[in-house]
Amino acid sequence: MSKPTDLVQGTLDLLILKSIALGPMHGWAIAQRIRQVSNDVLQVNQGALYPALHRLEQQGWIEAEWGESENNRRAKFYSLTKSGKKYLQSEQANWERLSAAIGLVLKTA
Amino acid sequence: MRWLQSVLHRLRNLFRKDSVERETDQELHFHLEREIAQHVSRGMSAEEARHAALLEFGGVEQFKEECREARGVNRIESLLSDLRYGLRSLRKSPGFTIVCILTLALGIGANTAIFSMVNALLLHPYNFRNLDSLVRVWEDRGIDEGYDARYIAPADAEDLRSTNGVFDGLTTYNYQSFGLGVEGDVQPVLGCRVSANFFDVLAVTPAAGRLFSAAEEQPGADQVAILSYGTWQRRFAGDPQLLGKTVSLNSRVYTIVGIMPKDFDYPVPVELWVPLALTPAEKADRAQLSLNALARLKPGVSVSQAGAALANFSRRLEQEYPKTNAGRSTTLLQLRKELYVFTLPLFLLLQAAAGFVLLLACANLANLVFARMIGRQREIALRTALGAGRGRLGQLLLSETFLFSSGAGAIAIVASFASVRALRTSIPVGWTKWVPGWDGIRVDGNVLAFAVLAALGVGIFLGLATMLHTSRIEPSKTLKETGTGTVTRAKRRVRSTLVVVQVMFALILLVCAGLTIQGFVRLANVYQGFEPANVLRIEISLPQKAYADNAKIANFYQQILRGAASVPGVQHASLITNPPASNVDNETTFFSIEGQTALKTSEMPAADLQIVSPDFLDTLKISSVAGRAFSDADNVDAARVVVTSRSMAARFWPKGDALRHRIRLGAQDSSEPWLTIVGVVGDVRQNWWNPATRPVIYKPFSQAPQRSMTLLLRTATNPSNYVSAVRDVVRQTDPAIALRGVNTLDEEIADSIAIVRIMGILMGIFGLVALALSSIGVYGVLSESVAQRTHEIGIRLTLGANPRDLMKLILGQALKLTGIGLLIAIPCAVAISRAMASLVFGVVSLDFTILGGFTALLLLVALGAGYLPGRRAIGVDPMVSLRYE
Repeated sequence: MSKPTDLVQGTLDLLILKSIALGPMHGWAIAQRIRQVSNDVLQVNQGALYPALHRLEQQGWIEAEWGESENNRRAKFYSLTKSGKKYLQSEQANWERLSAAIGLVLKTA
Repeated sequence: MRWLQSVLHRLRNLFRKDSVERETDQELHFHLEREIAQHVSRGMSAEEARHAALLEFGGVEQFKEECREARGVNRIESLLSDLRYGLRSLRKSPGFTIVCILTLALGIGANTAIFSMVNALLLHPYNFRNLDSLVRVWEDRGIDEGYDARYIAPADAEDLRSTNGVFDGLTTYNYQSFGLGVEGDVQPVLGCRVSANFFDVLAVTPAAGRLFSAAEEQPGADQVAILSYGTWQRRFAGDPQLLGKTVSLNSRVYTIVGIMPKDFDYPVPVELWVPLALTPAEKADRAQLSLNALARLKPGVSVSQAGAALANFSRRLEQEYPKTNAGRSTTLLQLRKELYVFTLPLFLLLQAAAGFVLLLACANLANLVFARMIGRQREIALRTALGAGRGRLGQLLLSETFLFSSGAGAIAIVASFASVRALRTSIPVGWTKWVPGWDGIRVDGNVLAFAVLAALGVGIFLGLATMLHTSRIEPSKTLKETGTGTVTRAKRRVRSTLVVVQVMFALILLVCAGLTIQGFVRLANVYQGFEPANVLRIEISLPQKAYADNAKIANFYQQILRGAASVPGVQHASLITNPPASNVDNETTFFSIEGQTALKTSEMPAADLQIVSPDFLDTLKISSVAGRAFSDADNVDAARVVVTSRSMAARFWPKGDALRHRIRLGAQDSSEPWLTIVGVVGDVRQNWWNPATRPVIYKPFSQAPQRSMTLLLRTATNPSNYVSAVRDVVRQTDPAIALRGVNTLDEEIADSIAIVRIMGILMGIFGLVALALSSIGVYGVLSESVAQRTHEIGIRLTLGANPRDLMKLILGQALKLTGIGLLIAIPCAVAISRAMASLVFGVVSLDFTILGGFTALLLLVALGAGYLPGRRAIGVDPMVSLRYE
């Protein structure tokens, strides 16, 4: 099994936050969504996903609530908190700046 | 706020651990289900789908652990389990635990109690706004007059107020005794006459009413008074309608215009304030230093800048008014520091001693903990082998020592409430009322913070010491070893060092304690030159208005003396300005000797001045050395005469021919009359801090009557029995006169050195505790090392070694450790006792019996500490000790 953090440290957090920005989602759906949106390039391992979710909750960026899933099962839905939204914005801006900078270096150097 | 949320979250996770765990299970389970469902929907069989999903999912338990880690539960949980483990292991050895906690509590408690005094007296003696900018200002005449004689001349003060650029405000005041008329009785109260800006300079406002106005500084307009809160409560029962009412002070009617707040007590221990209304002549006076001055520095002006400005000021005055101001220099000192001269060395000594006790307790504890650690080596090694990291082990050990120190801190804090109160009330009010901030000695926020910090510091120190000890445990070796574990040479050296340090501190503390007690004993015997037993003292102060001229004053006191002497049982009655052990220095005066050439003012001879009535030699039983004492014939019409003390005669007339020489008091060209020396009397110690050999000039009362005198009576039996009779005598003479300071001379002496007695007791306790702690320390280390060598001793005995030689070996080790400690400590103790002698009492001197005695005592303790375990080891049957492991 490949180690979950094939992704750059912290990137998974960003992906999770972005995924649930639209509305509450449970863990499985978050993984699915990241895979689909990235055209199967980013495969989030559950072994990385759940510790990350618990950590984000602990840090107060997201909050969890139990609800009914689409197949009528009890599932834990995560949604962004107010501070989580702000954090997402600043992290996204950071990421864009960083990736643009890296792109620039790769193209010109 | 996010941290708060995070903490709450953690706590929720911690306390609802089971449900949180269950939720995680459910969550992961749900995920697995969806994976399986997805596989099925892509055409796998249920069995295949489940297998694939589980394979993809990986180790569920591992993820759960990672989730727990992410939730931050583990850290708190392990800390709690460590604490629980610590508590359990402490419960297993209650004796050890109690000894540790109590010694630590003692150390922390002693420091807390002493700190409460330092806090109140040195750090917060007054609660004035911006205390550090308040300074006392006085004129120094070049003779040592003591800190209660720091005065300034009124005209100089006025000049300073109007011309300086360094003070925001300068105010003057002086103490005055009043007879407060209350319902036909007269009670003595101590008041203070203050300039109108007094309270403004101190930046205080009254709790009720108003302050003085500038117009009330004029004589005649000055009959207004402001009361202290305590006076209002005590003497007027907190009467809410008191403002605007009148009281009688020294038979004048004053209107009460204000009441100060509860915590205002400057200058201590004044009960009321009235305006300082000086007549134009008094205001223009430059010759007499009669006022206290207090000033507030301008913002940004430092004390040294102000000092330089004052030096310029005094130079200017010297040039302008050479007749009065030559040789005077204006000086200043921060108000906070005024009592430092006296209190700082005292409390530094006590705090240092308490600190030593804490260090000793810590060293002992470290030793005990080390001894335990050796027993736990295998446990630690096992934990290391099972994967406990350095940090995790550290946490385990730290949580144990923190249990010690926080328990000890808690006990110390609880006990300090009682001990601090005991300290505060252990010294008679007669002494403490003069010490600013004394009533503030209590356990406040600062003191609590100090105790908590001390406990934390001790915990960290002990924890680190323990960790240091375990850091080099190698599991592979330790686990292979059988037996109780061994002690490496390095570790034994650490413990030996601790013992050496303990012995060192113990000797230093014991010597300090011995010297303090020696100081007390010497002080108790310091009042030589007179017999204090069976003497009653009563202070009398006559109001200025009713006793305006000398004849009236003399007449009053004549009647009192005659009346008192006729009381049955009163053997002698006399007057003196300042009786011994009054806690007040004598007035000092310059004088010139007839026939000796004029000198600069600062080089003129000076002496204490006492005014006495004829019978004072017999009343106090002071010896007569030469010539005669005063008699009733030395009255106002007779030739002016004085008597001098023995040391005065010896200093100025070394050939022994003082009699019939003439002296004149005051400055070089003063208009005072010449006084003929008619007698020389023995030296008397005035106060314990004065040298016995201060030169004293005695003037006869009838030639220099004073309104305030102390009546001394030598009585046949207990002096207290005569108080009411004397009170009657005074009342018959003038019912408006209040008696104050009624006490026996013996008690007055005991009171005046009470602070030293308390210090002696405290230092004695510290010394004994130090002795006990270091004995335990030496014994602990030695018995441990002997126990380690039981096996070796057994072999030696079997091979025919002489038990006596073995004992010598063990005792030698004890003596070596103690000896090293003593060798280091002796020079330190000598240096410290030198410092004590010059700092604290002036009566303490390095005493080789004290030093030698305590050195021998510590050596004896060391021998005992070696002998007991030695005898045990040698007494054991070799066969048993060979099997001993």
